[in-house]
Amino acid sequence: MDVFGSFALLLAFVCAVYAVVGGIAAIVTRHPLLVKSARQAGMATCGLIFLATFSLEYLFFTDNFSIAYVVSHSNRDLSTFYKIAALWSGMEGSLLFWSFLLAVYVLSVLIAYRNKNGELMPYVGVVMAGVQLFFLTLNNFVESPFKALATPGAGGVMNFITRADGNGLNPLLQYPEMVIHPPNLYSGYTGFTIPFAFALGALLARYPGEKWIHLTRKWTMIAWMFQSMGILLGAHWAYAVLGWGGYWGWDPVENASLLPWLTGTAFLHSVMMQEKRGMMKVWNVWLVFCTFLLCMLGTFLTRSGVVSSVHAFAQSNIGPWFVAFMGITLAVCLGAYLKNRDYLASENQLDSVISRESSFLFNNLLFLVACVAVLSGTLFPVFSEWFTGNRISVGAPYFNRVNIPIGLLILFLTGVGPLLAWRKTSRESLKRNFGWPVLIGLLAGGVAFALGFRAYYSLASLILCVFVAATILLEFYRGSRVIRARSGASFAACAIDLTMRNTRRYGGYIIHMGMVFVFLGLAGTAFNRDVQKSMQVGDSMQIGPYTLVLQATDSKPEKNYTAQRMMVEVLRGNQPMMMLFPEKRNFLTNKENGTMVAIYSTLKEDLYVVFAGIDPDTQQPVIHAYLNPLVKWIWFGGVTVVFGTLIALLPNRRSVLVLAPAQQPSTVEPVPHGVVASPILREGHD
Amino acid sequence: MASSPPPFCEKAMTRNRALRRTLVLLGMATLPLIVPVGAQQFSDRAKKIGFQLKCMCGSCSMTAAGCSHPGGEFSGPCPTAKGMLQEADQHVAKGETDEQIVQAFAQEFGTTVYAEPPKSGFSLVAWAMPTVYLVLGALVVIFVISRWVKKNASETTASAVPAPPIAPELLERARKLAERATED
Repeated sequence: MDVFGSFALLLAFVCAVYAVVGGIAAIVTRHPLLVKSARQAGMATCGLIFLATFSLEYLFFTDNFSIAYVVSHSNRDLSTFYKIAALWSGMEGSLLFWSFLLAVYVLSVLIAYRNKNGELMPYVGVVMAGVQLFFLTLNNFVESPFKALATPGAGGVMNFITRADGNGLNPLLQYPEMVIHPPNLYSGYTGFTIPFAFALGALLARYPGEKWIHLTRKWTMIAWMFQSMGILLGAHWAYAVLGWGGYWGWDPVENASLLPWLTGTAFLHSVMMQEKRGMMKVWNVWLVFCTFLLCMLGTFLTRSGVVSSVHAFAQSNIGPWFVAFMGITLAVCLGAYLKNRDYLASENQLDSVISRESSFLFNNLLFLVACVAVLSGTLFPVFSEWFTGNRISVGAPYFNRVNIPIGLLILFLTGVGPLLAWRKTSRESLKRNFGWPVLIGLLAGGVAFALGFRAYYSLASLILCVFVAATILLEFYRGSRVIRARSGASFAACAIDLTMRNTRRYGGYIIHMGMVFVFLGLAGTAFNRDVQKSMQVGDSMQIGPYTLVLQATDSKPEKNYTAQRMMVEVLRGNQPMMMLFPEKRNFLTNKENGTMVAIYSTLKEDLYVVFAGIDPDTQQPVIHAYLNPLVKWIWFGGVTVVFGTLIALLPNRRSVLVLAPAQQPSTVEPVPHGVVASPILREGHD
Repeated sequence: MASSPPPFCEKAMTRNRALRRTLVLLGMATLPLIVPVGAQQFSDRAKKIGFQLKCMCGSCSMTAAGCSHPGGEFSGPCPTAKGMLQEADQHVAKGETDEQIVQAFAQEFGTTVYAEPPKSGFSLVAWAMPTVYLVLGALVVIFVISRWVKKNASETTASAVPAPPIAPELLERARKLAERATED
């Protein structure tokens, strides 16, 4: 099966070469058969990558320890669940997995648009195949996952060997979220290839109008959703597994995942300017280019080891390949832009400074500043070494100081932006839309201050969260009230109806609400507490309102590891509440350790209990307990963001008023010719 | 450290520094043999300073006070981090200021010990960059917006050709409809 997988990868490489060369020939000659054959070569590339990926999984499932990658990342006792995850646990497999996910996107695009947009698709196909070709080069010639296990024998002859068992999977990766976090993050990274291919294709083809924007909107949102989910799942994994009580450490690899998310979010907002007003065409194209390049940079930072990271499980010398690819991509983008920049002429006009357009510009500015600040902070140790000879570290405290104010400004615009009108916002409209939310926000801040909250960033975050939530709820309330006046249905039903009539607008509001929840959770960090204590059975410790009593300890041998488990009883006001079971796992094959944190989570706070290990002197277990307020809101916010994105991806439901105007007489007056029937029903770009 | 070494001693100084650093790390690694790992408590000030210092164990990128050493036998401050916190406590006992203590660590380990760049010398660049980006970006945005507004104003006055007349009642009806729809 390893030969089959290798051969499939090699054939995929050949097909990708044809898809690029044949595609370019098709663009030049405009010969329909060439167009078709290039497209089919693209599809064949995807199919062959699928076969190669399934071959590697087959090798894991059949415990084929003659393959170096399988030996390094699996063992016989590893559960089936984690044998799937072993695919992306190392360098070679994760690069193949990159190719696999990219192939899923590429095949979907090729099938979805096979008989549409004939002028544009050959260009898009060539760009997508070009990206695939780069990864297939790595898969075949640099980091092949199908290398046989061999040792050099006498006379330089390689002796192929088969091991009885493998080294096993890194214990930190043996956690359910590790099975879903990397696929989500990679789906985000790879997904941004599609808007990039359409943007570059449209620029090269001088494709008229904003159609490429409409075509890529859903793909961009899907990639963005996966990226968001990937980041949050990674944060949750760090929280639940690493046992340090936090979820985001500003590690270079974490930062790398955030960079394309920031530019992608900026693009999702600024693209509305182009759709609605034909503005910012150059900006949008470069935002998409930058997002894709940042995805590549993220992969490069993760893999190259140019900056030190705790995610050192997949480092190698493929850095120069990525640098070369990013250089070529940038050169192609720049060349295409310089050649066809007249195609991007915008209709840039504004009636007033206070308008939706201005808020989008500031929104983009803040996202870009956050992105560049994170990037320059991440690379600062490298720069400082170049300039001064000393490597100056930049850790979490720096990133927190720099990004918290920017984050708060973005949160402020989250509330303000959507309620400003396009072109010009009147003073009355400002008063009507923001009067109550500002008042409620300030009131919430006043109450918190009176209750003794003195962490000023958290206080500012709370005020803004309440303000933004109030603006969003007010929007839902007003829309629902109108529908209710006509239909008489309940407010909840009217809110659902309202959302489904303009999924993009109200899905967007739900996403904003999710971000409010995330910020609320982040604000809680200022009030974290922790206590660490060596305990004998029967000892107790106090943290906040909780008393923790170590009731018993035991050792539980499992198939792949032995778990040392603490049985900790939690009491509140001397009333028993529950038992928590934090444990420490010792993995037998690779002699490594992992923690399993026990968390009692409520919307108010998380009681987070870690069994840190055994005190070597007293031989007593050490329990480390944290009280982390509001953390659950972060995960709840993540779920809300995903839900909102899914809503925004749905097509608008047609209004009953439009479907059956005769049965439901409305108070809407006859529509003059040339005026849109109902702005609520328009293809929502709000 | 009191006097600056002559240039030809640079290599020897680096070697001495590396040796001293190794000895310090070795000393810290042996600390758990003397001090119980889990039981040791540090002063709040040492913890506060520990958040400004990176754990120098080499296998985690956490701060000395926040080190939990994932994957290690003990999930909590690792021996190196504990040694650093203990050393911080010793400096505290001598009555040194936070800044002096951080500087003492920087002399021992070099600039990699900082959890955040110091606000002096080349490191100031790191602190200045985000503000510079924000200010420059804001200026660009303000310039762009004002240009767009001006452009619109000039185009409005320049368009001398009158638009085809629209019946006032039709216009009023459209305005009412738009107001109602956009208001709610």
